[in-house]
Amino acid sequence: MRLVVGVDVGNTTTEACLARVGPEGAVAYLGTALMRTTGVKGTPENADGAVAAVRAVLARVGPVTDQLHAVLLNEATPVISGLAMETITETIITESTMIGHNPATPGGVGLGVGVTVPIGELLGDRRGVEGSLIVVVPHGWDFDDVAATLNAAVRDGVDVVAAVLAGDDAVLVTNRLEKPIPVVDEVAAVEKVPMGMLAAVEVAAPGRTIRTLSNSYGLATVFALDPAQTRQVSPVARALTGNRSAVVIRTPTGDVTDRLIPAGVLELRGAGRTLRVEVDAGADEIMATVSRVAPLDDVHGEPGTHVGGMLAQVRDTMTDVTGQPASEIAIHDVLAVDTIVPAEVRGGLAGEVAQEHAVALAAMVSTDRSRMQAVADLVADRLGTSAGVGGVEGAMAVRGALTTPGVDRPVAVIDLGGGSTDAALLTASGETTAVHVAGAGELVTKLIDSELALDNREVAESVKRHPLGKVESFFHLRHEDGTVEFVDEPLPPHVFARVVVMTPEGLVPVPTRHSLDAVRRVRREAKRRVFCVNAVRALRQVAPQGNLRALDFVVLLGGSALDFEIPDMIADALAPHGIVCGTGNIHGSEGPRNAVASGLVDAYAEESA
Amino acid sequence: MTSTQPEAFRRRSSRRTEILEDRPVNLDGFVEEWPEKGLVAMESEFDPRPSVRVEDGRIVELDGKGRGAFDFMDTFIANHAIDVETTEASMAIPSDEIARMLIDPNVSRRDVLAVSRGLTPAKILDVVKLMNVVEIMQGMQKMRARRTPANQGHSTSARDNPIQVAVDAAEGALRGFAELETTLGVLRYAPLVAIALQIGAQVGRGGVLTQCALEEATELELGMRGITAYAETISIYGTESVFVDGDDTPWSKAFLASAYASRGIKMRFTSGTGSEVQMGNAEGKSMLYLEIRCILMAKGAGVQGLQNGSISCIGVPGAMPGGIRAVAAENLVASMVDLECASGNDQSFSHSAMRRTARAMPQLLPGTDFVCSGYSGVPNLDNMFAGSNFDTDDYDDWNTIQRDMQVDGGLRHVREDEILEARDKAARALQALFAHLDLPAVTDDEVEAATYANSSNDYPLRDVLADLKGAQSVMDRGLTGLDLVKGLEATGFHDVAENLLTVLRQRVSGDLLQTSAILTPDFVPLSAINDANDYAGPGTGYRLQGERWEQLKKLRHVTSATNPETEVG
Amino acid sequence: MTTPAGDRTVSLREVGPARRGTREDEVVVAVSPAFAGHFTKTIVDVPHAEVLRQLLAGIEEQGVTARVIRVRDTADLAAIAHLGAKLSGSGIAVGVLSRGTTMLHQKDLPRLSNLELFPQSPLLDAEVFRKIGSNAAQYAKGESPEPVPTRNDQMARPRWQAKAALLHLKEFECIEADRGPVEVEPAFELSPA
Repeated sequence: MRLVVGVDVGNTTTEACLARVGPEGAVAYLGTALMRTTGVKGTPENADGAVAAVRAVLARVGPVTDQLHAVLLNEATPVISGLAMETITETIITESTMIGHNPATPGGVGLGVGVTVPIGELLGDRRGVEGSLIVVVPHGWDFDDVAATLNAAVRDGVDVVAAVLAGDDAVLVTNRLEKPIPVVDEVAAVEKVPMGMLAAVEVAAPGRTIRTLSNSYGLATVFALDPAQTRQVSPVARALTGNRSAVVIRTPTGDVTDRLIPAGVLELRGAGRTLRVEVDAGADEIMATVSRVAPLDDVHGEPGTHVGGMLAQVRDTMTDVTGQPASEIAIHDVLAVDTIVPAEVRGGLAGEVAQEHAVALAAMVSTDRSRMQAVADLVADRLGTSAGVGGVEGAMAVRGALTTPGVDRPVAVIDLGGGSTDAALLTASGETTAVHVAGAGELVTKLIDSELALDNREVAESVKRHPLGKVESFFHLRHEDGTVEFVDEPLPPHVFARVVVMTPEGLVPVPTRHSLDAVRRVRREAKRRVFCVNAVRALRQVAPQGNLRALDFVVLLGGSALDFEIPDMIADALAPHGIVCGTGNIHGSEGPRNAVASGLVDAYAEESA
Repeated sequence: MTSTQPEAFRRRSSRRTEILEDRPVNLDGFVEEWPEKGLVAMESEFDPRPSVRVEDGRIVELDGKGRGAFDFMDTFIANHAIDVETTEASMAIPSDEIARMLIDPNVSRRDVLAVSRGLTPAKILDVVKLMNVVEIMQGMQKMRARRTPANQGHSTSARDNPIQVAVDAAEGALRGFAELETTLGVLRYAPLVAIALQIGAQVGRGGVLTQCALEEATELELGMRGITAYAETISIYGTESVFVDGDDTPWSKAFLASAYASRGIKMRFTSGTGSEVQMGNAEGKSMLYLEIRCILMAKGAGVQGLQNGSISCIGVPGAMPGGIRAVAAENLVASMVDLECASGNDQSFSHSAMRRTARAMPQLLPGTDFVCSGYSGVPNLDNMFAGSNFDTDDYDDWNTIQRDMQVDGGLRHVREDEILEARDKAARALQALFAHLDLPAVTDDEVEAATYANSSNDYPLRDVLADLKGAQSVMDRGLTGLDLVKGLEATGFHDVAENLLTVLRQRVSGDLLQTSAILTPDFVPLSAINDANDYAGPGTGYRLQGERWEQLKKLRHVTSATNPETEVG
Repeated sequence: MTTPAGDRTVSLREVGPARRGTREDEVVVAVSPAFAGHFTKTIVDVPHAEVLRQLLAGIEEQGVTARVIRVRDTADLAAIAHLGAKLSGSGIAVGVLSRGTTMLHQKDLPRLSNLELFPQSPLLDAEVFRKIGSNAAQYAKGESPEPVPTRNDQMARPRWQAKAALLHLKEFECIEADRGPVEVEPAFELSPA
């Protein structure tokens, strides 16, 4: 009878599994423990966390340290990942052609077409004021005074057809007008509106969107455009689609353009060739290029771009960790994801925000130069017991996964981590293959953060981890599945009327104007584009001939396998391939945790039997 | 429509009036007294007349009120703060005689204490009302508990950057602060910042005591874990209604005080003139009368000291006639009932540099246990206590005033190379300790920036999310002061580890529970027990002389007498 | 750029006891005993007429209606705002003291809590009052407004702390105990500048 501890040093956690191994290789599992990993996985700094985990698991089962026979560590290679994002489109408005910022409360309803004139010209003798007018009101004008000035002018026969205001006063002004007109407000840079130009203002009823200015032929009708000119203004119409209000000003060469920003070039090397792809070509093109050079040997980015900087940094970090020269460190995988980033429009008058396209890129380096033997030596020294490397991570993980009830060979595991997604396969004949691919939990957080414009990684991570709700009153909230929960004690004021994350510590408000459904959609899409895509990508790399149908059982492991929706999403994604997929339950009791550590014990028992 | 008044109808101002209007002092606010409502510094006919009556060893009448009419402040003070044995005799002494005892060098501090322990709040007010500000200073010179004056500093960061807090604490400790305190913008940062303050302080000068001002439960926990060394922000008030508004009583505060004492942790209460009227609950009493009730409540609770001098309400007495005299008087009262007094000068007080300086004279000139209970050891823009009366920009002025007047305000000029060395070492020690404890990394760039920085704007931005997670893990993992010691030792900062360990050992001896205790650079507790104030007139008591005076003669620029083409220092 | 505005004044005409509102799209503005009566401007001389106009404008711009009530038996801001919330059809109220201190409250909250509090009266100007009104209306509509940013100024203490205390005491003097809240109609007048 021998006491052994299997220790799995992972990227963030170090897990230990204590077992008693009988002479015939019979294994009795005595307990498990979980500690934070110290240092980067695969480096001597791991010894502290490993020792702590061993001590913790021993403490759990009583004073048996002196009888400890061996500590078994996994062969783990350092995996370092990086993230970068490049915005690849940009919307530019020239000559202040258009105002399309969608203020929350425009005033009036309808379309007004006229010449722009500053409100000051309606005071005094109104010389030079004639025809249909669109009145432009600068900052500092009180709403009562604006209404009084417009009413007086209209009474005197001036044809005021619409107004554009700097302040948030549209409803206030229209409520006080004797003759109703459409009013667009909150135009922060109103002083840049060109005067004396033909313009159109359109406001739709609440809950509706504009019909004329978002339609190219509508614009052509309003401004009497010929076919060539109509072609030219069609981007304006497109930019205004979906708005409740808009202003379009006809200037000699004004334009709205959607420009592609050069974001540098990725150089992908593999399969004996080198291919270059522009980052602004988008994720599909990048990933297609990646597959053409598979297996990937290395990737370089153009210096001076975000992507180039990120790739260089990943390489540098690995150099620091392993002491290997940078020239020997290769980037083995990249994942590109298309995303959208809300960005302020250049040349906009009212802080217009356009949903610009961006490409998020995750990269990963791994090295074969592991230093786990050094960790084992340190552990042996500190615990006064024998310690050694008991097996390779991927192989041990599948072995551990096999203890999940209902699983049989061939079995593949997917470990959903923070920086990388790992897969391993154990074939019916006992061979294992393992792979790491770039992109995991951290990329999901980044996508959520930028798509919701949170600019707060803590909130984004919280959105990723927990379901949402909407606090509808102090005594009830609606969960994201539509069910309503009532509470006895009033909810705290800072969550009132807000979309919240249901964390175990309580409700945390999400600082966003997006609806619960929009936040949920962004969260699920981010997970799908990273985890579902990567699950398939990784499995293809381990599956025989890349054929997913050759896999029978897939077991999900790691922290993200505890996520409330990712396992279901992956199972759905794999279902069409005839795969049984689910969250692991190691030994039928540990859940998706401890697979590698118990795999190490099992391997030891098998050998010693 | 807008119209402009014709020029001729406008009152014409003199050029001089315009210049005076533009002086910073006219940005300060001043108001008239309203004694009926308690908006008056210390002279109010609505304050009670002194009286006491003892029956069966129990005070049954206090300042004109029978026991049946006592509020809980009266009850607490009558039961715990006033010496029943001597009160009738003490109260029989005319107030002017007691006031004269306070300034008479022939009457010892001990003699005054023998009388003051039997005085009621109204009687104490009656005594100090007789004293002008010079007499108050004379009284403070004798009644201060510790012979050697000291100073306290703030080290905070507008971004809650722990590296900044550490290096500014190191510099502050080197410049002379005996105590350093911090507080937060984002409260969850507290564990990291409290650790940083402790490390910085022990790098700058071993034996400096630190505290982190927080809500009471967390402040106590950090103290019990040995991450901080003392506590100060336990607020008390002079009327029952304000106490009740804060869900507190004198007994609950006394209970909290005993929790600190049970672990050998130094602590003091905080109070100040103006807080009650500020909250609209002065019950028609003067600010100083209510503050004297606070002081006696602190005395009755058995704490060793009090931070007072109006503190965060300084704008209220500051706007009243005689208000700063009242503030000086409240400091004196704390000292005359044998409490350690950390005497204010710790909150933004005036737009006028002249007024800021004048306001500090009644504490700086006679010396108090802590002249400032928070001199800002960071630029005021980084001061998370809402700004202090003095900040880092004033260091050289302060040092010069000490030299001009030959008074010890607790600070000294330090050469830049020594300061840079201490800042660099503090940043590196924190870097090593964070790495050892697996807390968010401190980069070499941050160490470099910290060494040469002035404000939080000069530091690289930190990953706040990672820091907050690290801060939470300090609490979750149950890290204590001893873990910090071990980490410092393991990472080669043996001397800093030794300093911190020695500070922690005071918990066991309990020496820091003595009145006015601080630690010397040799870790000798200096308190009212072994460094009792023995002032007895000219030539006695604490004198700025010898080695300390030589230190304070040094400034940034002093022309050498030997070679006037060079500077000394 | 000047706005052609003179100074406006406001008088609050009492129209009867304040009653509970029935419209869900209303916000109550509850003013303190001395507001637009004994006092005419805030601690930093913002006219009460402008405070009220901007609060009401912020509410109106969001398409929500408003009622104004005067609370007479307390000068405690939380009590004023909470009473307003309990009388408000939407359950949302803005409470405002003469010196300018303002609070957003909701009927189901404990009195000592609040939705948003603006304690630094010297830093509240017309623009902030507009945003407060706007947020009140958005809460009433069940939207999630961004809290109005609160400002801070270290030097507000020496300048305003004592005056704030004085105004607080004066407002307490204007309390009429045993008199319930009244509904008032604000009448704004443009005084020739």
